[in-house]
Amino acid sequence: MAVISVSHLSKYYKVHQKEPGLAGSIKSLFSRKYYDVKAVDNISFEIEEGELVGFIGPNGAGKTTTLKTLSGLLYPTKGEASVLGYIPWKRQPQFQKQFALVMGQKNQLWWDLPAIESFILNKEIYEVPDAQYKETLNELSELLEVKDLLKIQVRKLSLGERMKMELIAALIHSPKVLFLDEPTIGLDVVAQKKMRDFIKIYNQKYKATIILTSHYMDDVKELCKRVVIIDKGKIVFDGLLEEIVKKYADHKNLSVVFEKELNRKQLEHLETLGGIKEFSYPKLILQVPRENSNKVAAKLLQSYPVADLNIEESQIEDIIREVFTGKNVA
Amino acid sequence: MHKYFTVFIVSLQNEFIYRFNFILWRVRNILRFLMTYFLWSGIFIANTSVFGYSQNQMLTYVFMVLIVQTMVLSAPSSDNIGGEIGNGDLSNYLVKPVSYLKYWFTRDVASKTLNFIFAVFEIILLWFLFRPVIIFPTNFAVILGFLVSLLLATVIYYLLSACARFVSFWAPENTWGLAFLVLVMIEILAGGIFPLNILPASIYQLLQLTPFPYLVFFPISIFSGKIIGLEIIKVLLQSAVYVAIMVWFTKFLWKKGMMVYQSSGK
Repeated sequence: MAVISVSHLSKYYKVHQKEPGLAGSIKSLFSRKYYDVKAVDNISFEIEEGELVGFIGPNGAGKTTTLKTLSGLLYPTKGEASVLGYIPWKRQPQFQKQFALVMGQKNQLWWDLPAIESFILNKEIYEVPDAQYKETLNELSELLEVKDLLKIQVRKLSLGERMKMELIAALIHSPKVLFLDEPTIGLDVVAQKKMRDFIKIYNQKYKATIILTSHYMDDVKELCKRVVIIDKGKIVFDGLLEEIVKKYADHKNLSVVFEKELNRKQLEHLETLGGIKEFSYPKLILQVPRENSNKVAAKLLQSYPVADLNIEESQIEDIIREVFTGKNVA
Repeated sequence: MHKYFTVFIVSLQNEFIYRFNFILWRVRNILRFLMTYFLWSGIFIANTSVFGYSQNQMLTYVFMVLIVQTMVLSAPSSDNIGGEIGNGDLSNYLVKPVSYLKYWFTRDVASKTLNFIFAVFEIILLWFLFRPVIIFPTNFAVILGFLVSLLLATVIYYLLSACARFVSFWAPENTWGLAFLVLVMIEILAGGIFPLNILPASIYQLLQLTPFPYLVFFPISIFSGKIIGLEIIKVLLQSAVYVAIMVWFTKFLWKKGMMVYQSSGK
């Protein structure tokens, strides 16, 4: 049985519109126009134990709303969901003891106290036995390299250090299911990398089922085999990351370095070979239909002063951008 | 129960961080005490009895307000139920096996414990400064009745103020003002500024149909012997009924609120 299963889930928000300016504010005191925003619109998917799935999509696509519904924070407008066999929005303690939600932009730590106090509090709230608590804390703080920071007031920590503490606080009860909403947001590249490594290890070592949302493709590329792409509340793709490339990347990029400047005829002829994505001598990136890439490469080698040539798959970022900017999909 | 004990301990630590806030809060209480104290002292220069209160009785009342207020009407310096609902921080608690209402009640109790300790010192100090004639109850049953009434009042007030803050569920933008207004009104109607029986009889009667006098006025009346014998039992039972009603109403409002909670802010 799937650990997480979602079927025909929808969540609509009622939002009121305010006309601009003070007059609009006064008007909105007396009458408000409400309309529905379909944050999540009839989505279904299943996730098996131990999977690490990436949710990607632009801002407002419905990623966070999905995670909040699965955490039991929101009642869905329609549809069903179950996590570990529980209905999330019933908020049963047995369920809550087995999952954690980490939101990169929200903190649960006590701002004015050292992080260790928040850990102790969570230990009691989740009723973690002493021995297990000590072991988990020890392990996590070693993995994340924050052993020396446990007794420092949270407000004095850097963003990266704080995020690590947030993770420890969320993991102190060893959850089986983990929802990570933008865990690397605002972190520098080094800290992002560390966070990613940690998530990977946690997933493998504890067989934890993880859903991760992120704006950074690097997070998803490095961590997730499977991705779910959400846009405007609907799932537009659900499958292996590499399949996105096969499915949507009907082009390959030829990256060429020339030996010497091209003459006018060669330049003009270049345009007939494919789409020029980038050209500043001596470097050229040429976009060609997938099936033609070998032919075009041969032609280039034959009649151009080529020093170096590579055939590359499109960047995943580019493909996803194309998916979102309405190139017809699904 | 260990859960909430830890909340209690961590809350106390947090209160110590906000010691400056805390001290100012105590100063405010003393200033207000001095204000009402001198106001009534001034009035009694020209009169020997006002609204049926002798000078000593009135000053006893003012003194007792300082104590009862510390127990009943105080809230932790970081009390922010409305804010947490409005900005979505409530989500942090909702995903955990912890009751939000019990959590904040525990924090409330922690803050009150600290306030109480300070109030004891203040009262001793003020006592030596003003030497008010306070008639202590000699009957143990009366003291017990007073303490029980304080306990019930504390619960009623906590639930009332929680409900006032739940308005954030429906209007996340503008709750602070409303909650503030409601709490000031409660303080006046509870008898936190003056004894309620100096009001016109009709208003006083009307107030008795509300939970407010049970917060400050009745406990002090029990202490100072204005309410005696079986009447004490009646007041305590009535308080207990209000606790039950408020528990039901708070849960009802919470459930309604949860249906519309949008866990905003990311």
